[in-house]
Amino acid sequence: MRHTWIVASALATAVAPTAQVAFAVEYMDVAGAQRSAYPEATAFEPYTVSAEARADIARDAGRFVGVPQVWRVRSGERLLGWFIVDEVIGKVERITYSVALDPSGAITRLDVLAYRESHGDAIKLPAWRMQFKGKRSSDPVRLDADIRNISGSTLSCRHVTEGVHRLLLLYDRVLAHA
Amino acid sequence: MRSRTTTRRVAGLWLGTLVDIAAEGDSADTVEHAIAAAFAEIASVHHSMSAHACDSELVRVNRLATHASQRVSGGFHAVLACALDVAAQSHGAFDPTIGGLLCELGFVPGHGGHGPATWRDVHLDQHGVRFERPLQLDFGGIAKGYAVDRAIAALRERGILRACVNAGGDLRVFGQRSEVVHVRTGGSAGVALPLVCIADGAVATSGYASQRRRVGARWATPLIDARRGLPRMSTRTVSVVAPGCMLADALTKVVALLGADAAGVLEHYHASATILTPANGRWRCTEVPRGGVHASRVRAPRIPAHHARIPAPV
Repeated sequence: MRHTWIVASALATAVAPTAQVAFAVEYMDVAGAQRSAYPEATAFEPYTVSAEARADIARDAGRFVGVPQVWRVRSGERLLGWFIVDEVIGKVERITYSVALDPSGAITRLDVLAYRESHGDAIKLPAWRMQFKGKRSSDPVRLDADIRNISGSTLSCRHVTEGVHRLLLLYDRVLAHA
Repeated sequence: MRSRTTTRRVAGLWLGTLVDIAAEGDSADTVEHAIAAAFAEIASVHHSMSAHACDSELVRVNRLATHASQRVSGGFHAVLACALDVAAQSHGAFDPTIGGLLCELGFVPGHGGHGPATWRDVHLDQHGVRFERPLQLDFGGIAKGYAVDRAIAALRERGILRACVNAGGDLRVFGQRSEVVHVRTGGSAGVALPLVCIADGAVATSGYASQRRRVGARWATPLIDARRGLPRMSTRTVSVVAPGCMLADALTKVVALLGADAAGVLEHYHASATILTPANGRWRCTEVPRGGVHASRVRAPRIPAHHARIPAPV
C-alpha cells in the first residue's frame, strides 16, 4: 500500500487547499441504457407526459425535477414495456437515471446514467487549477479534467427511491392507460 | 509502447448509496465481465448484511442467535471476525453490537431496545455465531468497506489492470499508477480537499455532521461511543488509509471516537489517519499516528497560499 497524505503535508505549512467540487461522471448515454435494457427492441417511440399529469403526480409524490423522458418500447408489433429517463437532486448531487418497465409496470432494470455535484463548474476557476501548475510530467500526482475519486460522500439513495416511486405512479395513472 | 486498453466506469445503487466502479483491462469483454462480477459481489454483500432488508442474513442472526448458534456465510463470518477484532483492539470503542441503540435513535429499522450487551457477548467459531444475551449486530460501519474489498478481488481475479471501487466514499484502488483522492468537507457547499495520493490501498472517510438527527432534546449522529452506550455529536471528518477497505471503514469510527489515542490501533493494522476539525473557517489537520507510518514517496503538489481561507463547514 503506497500512499501520501496530501492534505496533511499542505497544512503543515499552514495553508488549506480548497476546491469547489467538479465531480461529474457520465456513466452511460440514453441510447446505451436503452440497448442494455431492451436488447431485442426494434422501436423506441417517444411519449409525452402532459403537464397536468405531472402536476397530478406531484401532489402525491413530490415534484419532478425536470420533465421525465418516456419511450414506448416495441419489438415489431409487440409491446416490450416503457423506458423512462428521470433526474433527482439530493443534498449536493444530481443524478440522472433510467428505469425500464415491463408491460405490466414492473421494474426490470434501473441504471445510473450520470452523477454530478451541484457546484461542479467552479473547478474551472483558474485559481484552483494553479495549484497543480508546475507539476512535472514525471510526477505521479495526476489531475484529470475533473476530480475522479471522492471520499466522504454524503449521497443517499433516498432521492432515487423517491424518484422511482414517482415513476411508478406515472405508470399507474398514465402509461398503463396509454 | 503501451498496448491499447479499455476503460469503463459503471455505477449502481447498492448498500444505500452510489457504488461506482472504474476498471481498465485488455479488452472490452474482459472489462465488461469483470465489472459485472464485481457488482454481483456487492449485491451479495448487500443482501446478506443489510439491516433494511427483512430477509437478510443479518436480520436472521439478530433474531435467532440468542436462542441457538446460527450458521453464517463466509462473507458474514469474515465481517464479524474483523469487527470483533477491531472491537478487541480498540477496547470496545468500535462495537458491532450497537444495532439496538441505532434503532432506538432511528438510524436503522428494527425493534430497538438495547441492554448491557457488548461485543464480548458475541461468540464466533467455525460453526456459526451465538449471542450470550439479546443484542443486535449492525454492520453499518464495516459492510460497505467489505463489499468494496470483494469487488476489488473480483476485478483482480478477472485480469483487470487498474481499478477503483467507490461505495459512497469508501473506496479502494489498485494498479501501478497512483490516484488522487479528494475528501468532501463542505457539506452542501460542495468543497473538497485533495486528500491523499494512493496506489493499491483503501481510503474511507466518516463525517457525521451531515447525518445528525434530533432525538428528543439532543442531536445524535450514528457515531456511537459503545463504551458509554451514547451517540456522539462530532464535527470531525476522519479519513483512514489502510491496506483494505473493510479495515479502513471500521477504523474511521475508532479514530472519530479516540482521536490521537487511536494511534496504537492504527499501527497494529498498518493504517494511518487524518482528522480534519473545523476551526474558524479553516480546517485543522491532525495526522494519526504523527508523521504517519509510511515515509512519503510521492511529492505532494504545492498549494498556493491564497487558498488558505476556505468556507466554514456547514
